[in-house]
Amino acid sequence: MKYSIRSARAQDCRDIERMIMELALYEKMPDQVKISHKELERDGFGPNPFYQCLVAEVPEERSSAEGHTVVGYVLYYYTYSTWSGRCIYMEDLYVMPQFRGEGIGKALMASVAKVCREQQCVRLQFSVLDWNKPSLEFYLSKGAQDLTDKEGWHLLRFDGEALESLAEEAP
Amino acid sequence: MASRFILRNAEPKDVSDILRLIKELAKFEEMEEQVVLTEKELLEDGFGEHPFYHCVVAEVPEEKQTPEGKVVGFAMYYFTYDPWIGKLLYLEDFYVMKEFRGYGIGSEILKRLSETAVKCRCSSMHFIVAEWNKQSIEFYKRRGAADLSHEEGWRLFEIGKQSLIKMSAK
Repeated sequence: MKYSIRSARAQDCRDIERMIMELALYEKMPDQVKISHKELERDGFGPNPFYQCLVAEVPEERSSAEGHTVVGYVLYYYTYSTWSGRCIYMEDLYVMPQFRGEGIGKALMASVAKVCREQQCVRLQFSVLDWNKPSLEFYLSKGAQDLTDKEGWHLLRFDGEALESLAEEAP
Repeated sequence: MASRFILRNAEPKDVSDILRLIKELAKFEEMEEQVVLTEKELLEDGFGEHPFYHCVVAEVPEEKQTPEGKVVGFAMYYFTYDPWIGKLLYLEDFYVMKEFRGYGIGSEILKRLSETAVKCRCSSMHFIVAEWNKQSIEFYKRRGAADLSHEEGWRLFEIGKQSLIKMSAK
């Protein structure tokens, strides 16, 4: 078997941390990664998980040059639409460059689509950077719609100082 | 007029008011026919064993209430996860009835949510706004929000039920 997809375990967090950094480097924002495998373990494998994760694993004989057998992951969580109810948001999807072209990315996404079906989630949402042509094409070919383009949605954020000062004004 | 109001966590009895306000907001976003959610689902999904969302409502005193009731605003949120920074608070819907605006209800709701975010160790609060909704964008930017679609190029994508079924069957 060329690869397998399975639920992540707490012990996978170091591999997940490594791949998160690889993806952040590709997205040109590595300095924005602030958490490590410790937070990933606490937040994903405690009594109240904040995310779910599936990993792609290859047999020992196919391991990467550095000896890694966990070669891809998808990190997702449940969200809620006031229009249609339960949804899943796919936060990260990544396959190491040397293992691409084998259908691992497709298999990881299909696994999440299966979870959607099992958990009665009506849609799968995710964000893509506008310059990321390979990913844009991949998702569009799977039937994804660009809602920023189609409906004009923009993602906004309050963080750091803005969030703190907003909170300080609370009664 | 509506200078007095309280903010409180939503309770199961609030689901019909919440659905009413969801529909009002959808109407404003010109997508009213897309609301297929029912009171039953809201009840099960918000107040069952595994809550999919949390909700804060704004209530006015009896003498100020409308024919629809005392609940005049709401915000629905849930916790999400960013692999770079950890827990986030995601604001899904945020709405105050037209006749009750201008009294600070919206500002108070936002402050309460940001207080919740900070208390729960969330690094930030995220939400989406339609680009034509200039009023809301200004409201948020005045309070320090950053437009990540504009600044970093993020585009929101969605795969609907039919395509999901196709994908999961392979």
